[in-house]
Amino acid sequence: MAELTLRKADQPQKGKTWPKPEGATRLREFHIYRYDPDKNENPRIDTYFVDLNDCGPMILDALLYVKNKVDPTLTLRRSCREGICGSCSMNINGLNTLACTKGMDDSSGPVKIYPLPHMPVVKDLVPDLTTFYAQHRAIEPWLKTTSPTPQKEWTQSVEDRSKLDGLYECILCACCSTSCPSYWWNGEKYLGPAALLQAYRWLIDSRDETTTERLDNLEDPFKLYRCHTIMNCTKVCPKGLNPAKAIAQIKKMMVERKAA
Amino acid sequence: MRETITRDMVANPKTHYGDAKAATRHFMTQRITGLINIVFLGFLLFIIVRLGGQDRADMVGVIGNPLIGLPFAALIAIVAVHMRNGMRDTLEDYVHGRMFSLAMLLNTLFCLLVAVAAIGAIAKLVFWG
Repeated sequence: MAELTLRKADQPQKGKTWPKPEGATRLREFHIYRYDPDKNENPRIDTYFVDLNDCGPMILDALLYVKNKVDPTLTLRRSCREGICGSCSMNINGLNTLACTKGMDDSSGPVKIYPLPHMPVVKDLVPDLTTFYAQHRAIEPWLKTTSPTPQKEWTQSVEDRSKLDGLYECILCACCSTSCPSYWWNGEKYLGPAALLQAYRWLIDSRDETTTERLDNLEDPFKLYRCHTIMNCTKVCPKGLNPAKAIAQIKKMMVERKAA
Repeated sequence: MRETITRDMVANPKTHYGDAKAATRHFMTQRITGLINIVFLGFLLFIIVRLGGQDRADMVGVIGNPLIGLPFAALIAIVAVHMRNGMRDTLEDYVHGRMFSLAMLLNTLFCLLVAVAAIGAIAKLVFWG
């Protein structure tokens, strides 16, 4: 059965309030989810204060301020700090997004930061994305052909190449999949919006010659058809992509194949 | 030689057995019956408005007419299929394992019961008044 509530041991409790930085005149309050699997304790929400005069404008800047100057035990993933790598995806003020591209002035009041929802937590803001990556692998995200390999590269027309726009830009940050209620309830069987967007990216690629095999792999009540067009994926995608439309296109390809 | 159908074979979407291959068919059935139901709703509202303020004899006269009663019965069967498929989708989301099989059995029985009772009532009006 789907689990609609957290177990008692998983419910976050009020944590520590860290002291305000001395001499700071512009402060912003942050409520950050903390969990350490090595300690046998419930998760907690710690309160931090960030000196805005000593910190960059993005949420990631504030998190690094906390880590470097207040509490070095705070754990998070980050790398490129410009929305390319997808490492710093987290739930900020109730919306999955990238901490590096989310400005602090996008909201007022205390900023609430949690890890991506409904995923096992490795530590603090770091979710376990093992299943997510396995699902991406399952759709075989590479060019598959049956024709003899050409002397040079596999070519395609400008029009065919343009069909990949809005699909190839996905950075696999997992914001979409972890915002999807269907993925919450059936995350192990439903591939989720990110993997399906990638699946469509290869289905629509004019150079790929295994469309039938790819569609066969998706012909399943759970892998594809758990999408109920809730559209959370499209709402939260930090790259402005539309996974829901890609999923609808796959369903259309399925129906056309069946009706043919 | 007849092949042995194993559990793995049914679970494998590449084979022609089990729910795996039926996924797109369920999806298409749900959409097509949904579309028909929209038309049916118009038909139903028309009948209800037309029968407004009239007595039982008039109602029997309208629904007892085979040209109205028989399409009505067919549409009720389509509603039952749509109802079963819709509930199946919800059960697949939230109920797993053996509970799912039990819930689907009850779902199918309920939809069948509704369809048989409604179509039986229409048949009575058409054939016996």
